[in-house]
Amino acid sequence: MNVEPIIRVDGLVRRFGEFTAVDHVSLRVHAGEIFAFLGANGSGKSTTIRMLIGLLRPTEGSIVVDGIDVMAQTRRVRDHIGYMGQRVSLYQGLSLRENVEFYGGLQNLAGQELDHRWDRLRERFALGDVEREAASDLPAGVRQRAGLALAILHQPRVLFLDEPTAGVDLVGRALFWELIQEQAAQGRTVFVTTHFLEEADYCDRVSFIDAGKIVADATPAELRERTGTDYVVRVTGPPTGLSAVAAALEAALPPRAAKVTVEGAQVRLRMGSLSPERIVALRTAAEARGAHLLGIDPPDMGDVFRVLAREAGETAS
Amino acid sequence: MKLARLLVLMRREALATLRDPFTVSILIAVPLVALLLFSSILSTSVEYLPMGVLDLDRSPASRRLVAGLAATRSFQPIALANRDQLDEMLRDGGLSLALVLPDGLDRGLRPDLGPAGPGRARPQVQVIYDGAETVLAGNAESFLGATMAATALGDAGVPAIVRASGASAGSGSVVRVVTRALFNPALDGKPYMVAGTFGFVLSFATTLIIAVSVVNERAAGTFEQLQVTPATNLEIVLGKVLPLGAVFSLDVILMMLAAGFLWGVWPAGSAVFFLLVSTFYQVVSLSLGLIISATSATAQEAVAKTVLLATPLIQLSGFALPIDNMAWAFRWFAEVIPATHYIRVSRAIYLRGEGPLDVAGELGVIVLMGAGLVALALRAVGRRA
Repeated sequence: MNVEPIIRVDGLVRRFGEFTAVDHVSLRVHAGEIFAFLGANGSGKSTTIRMLIGLLRPTEGSIVVDGIDVMAQTRRVRDHIGYMGQRVSLYQGLSLRENVEFYGGLQNLAGQELDHRWDRLRERFALGDVEREAASDLPAGVRQRAGLALAILHQPRVLFLDEPTAGVDLVGRALFWELIQEQAAQGRTVFVTTHFLEEADYCDRVSFIDAGKIVADATPAELRERTGTDYVVRVTGPPTGLSAVAAALEAALPPRAAKVTVEGAQVRLRMGSLSPERIVALRTAAEARGAHLLGIDPPDMGDVFRVLAREAGETAS
Repeated sequence: MKLARLLVLMRREALATLRDPFTVSILIAVPLVALLLFSSILSTSVEYLPMGVLDLDRSPASRRLVAGLAATRSFQPIALANRDQLDEMLRDGGLSLALVLPDGLDRGLRPDLGPAGPGRARPQVQVIYDGAETVLAGNAESFLGATMAATALGDAGVPAIVRASGASAGSGSVVRVVTRALFNPALDGKPYMVAGTFGFVLSFATTLIIAVSVVNERAAGTFEQLQVTPATNLEIVLGKVLPLGAVFSLDVILMMLAAGFLWGVWPAGSAVFFLLVSTFYQVVSLSLGLIISATSATAQEAVAKTVLLATPLIQLSGFALPIDNMAWAFRWFAEVIPATHYIRVSRAIYLRGEGPLDVAGELGVIVLMGAGLVALALRAVGRRA
């Protein structure tokens, strides 16, 4: 991508007294990307996102979002961005509809224009049934979807989400990510922080921050490859013929595509990428030898992060 | 600043305030309870105070004086047999004050009976009070002086020697009673306390509600969310304080009506002027609340700070204790408390019926303090952002 990035951060530093929370962070995010900003609690990711949206002044560095210098024109950037914080900020004493009217009003949206936009969001985000309910009565997953709907009501070009899925169950999280991906498909840039490492797989690019420093910035697949964390295919078969099964499985794949080992009563194949065709080929080969596929373990982004953090620690020391 | 956005913010705040049971109960309960409590318990009026009477004269004049004092319902005379009993009861707290009517009082009062005796001074009535209870005794003392002045005793010009007993005042400090009751001749403490209670409620409850409200918004994340919208800091702050200010102005009306209907205490001056001054005074309290909220992480911390602030408010603002009785350092400090000035204005309007010109000086001080606090509050909110 040669176009100018929609978010450009250079040499960003934030110190709190002696403590450096964010240490020379530089980032490039391109329009329409889902950019995951990952890190443990206290790693500096929330401090960074607060600086990006103009809630916190950096000690050093520069931030440009959608062509606007955030430090010089903090207020102007607010027309271009949507934000959803860790605690979804619905007013508890108001109904969801009243919240919509309130936040819409602040964005100068009212009357038919607001109704029109809200009607579409309400339907897609499955919020129609709860519109008249008090915000305090909404379950976590619904509240999260409502928060997202409110954050994009004014159709911002860039959406900042700070740990949007915290406290939401697995089904709720999957639905939420589906909605985020839709937003990106419509051309909206999404900058999202999370500490659910597996959620990085929903994103186009992943940046890891550790102790205020960026330790990795790549696509999820590149990161897995770089850190040697793979898919694991587990196969079980007749105890006496396991090595023959292993050989047959290896033969079903292109040369050196997988590392095959026999561990106990299982054959394990480790590989960096896994297509549906390969799964079919492996299943066919296994069943021809009286064996069958037990399961496929996707690579754990947690492992990726642990490797990256260890590497960063080694570099530092 | 955009009016449309401000109206959106104000509408939300008004809705949230009126729907929140905690806020509504504070808005109604604090003014009413404060009125009842302070005007009844803290009232400076004197009622049924146990007063020992050592009547050494046992004459028509001494009996008339005691009966006259008893008739005011302010004192409850307790006859004493001798000086030892007086000292003992005063020490034990059985008496708030004691009266010693000397032998020869009757004769001294009646010129027709001739001089009390060759070389003898005119009779002197002794008032002895517990020096530890200066405020109570001080009020009783001036009331006693006034009552005595109204009886035949006063006509005869009998001076009263007032002596404080107890540790805090050295025995034998002789004071001449000077009665000053220019604007409250009945010496009824209620109007005085009612006028002061406005100062307490508008300083304490207003500061508390705004501080807790902002801290809660910050904790809920809504404050942060607002700051990411096009709304400016000034709009956010005004959107909060204007509706709350309006609600507290309703509280002022509520208190005026309650004091009026419960005790017949109505402002001697213009009620509209009083309402205007009270509404403006809230700028001070609301700014203080914002400053407290900006420096508090939790609602509990904000409540604690407000309560801490309320202590000097009650002690030093002249609300409960007369500033004139304080040491110079506290008198000086009292002038720095905005409530001191508001309470003065409030009493000027309520008790003396003064108008804008009479209280212009105090109002000027409130305006200056308000401007300073608004500037501080905006900075505090901005820095916190």
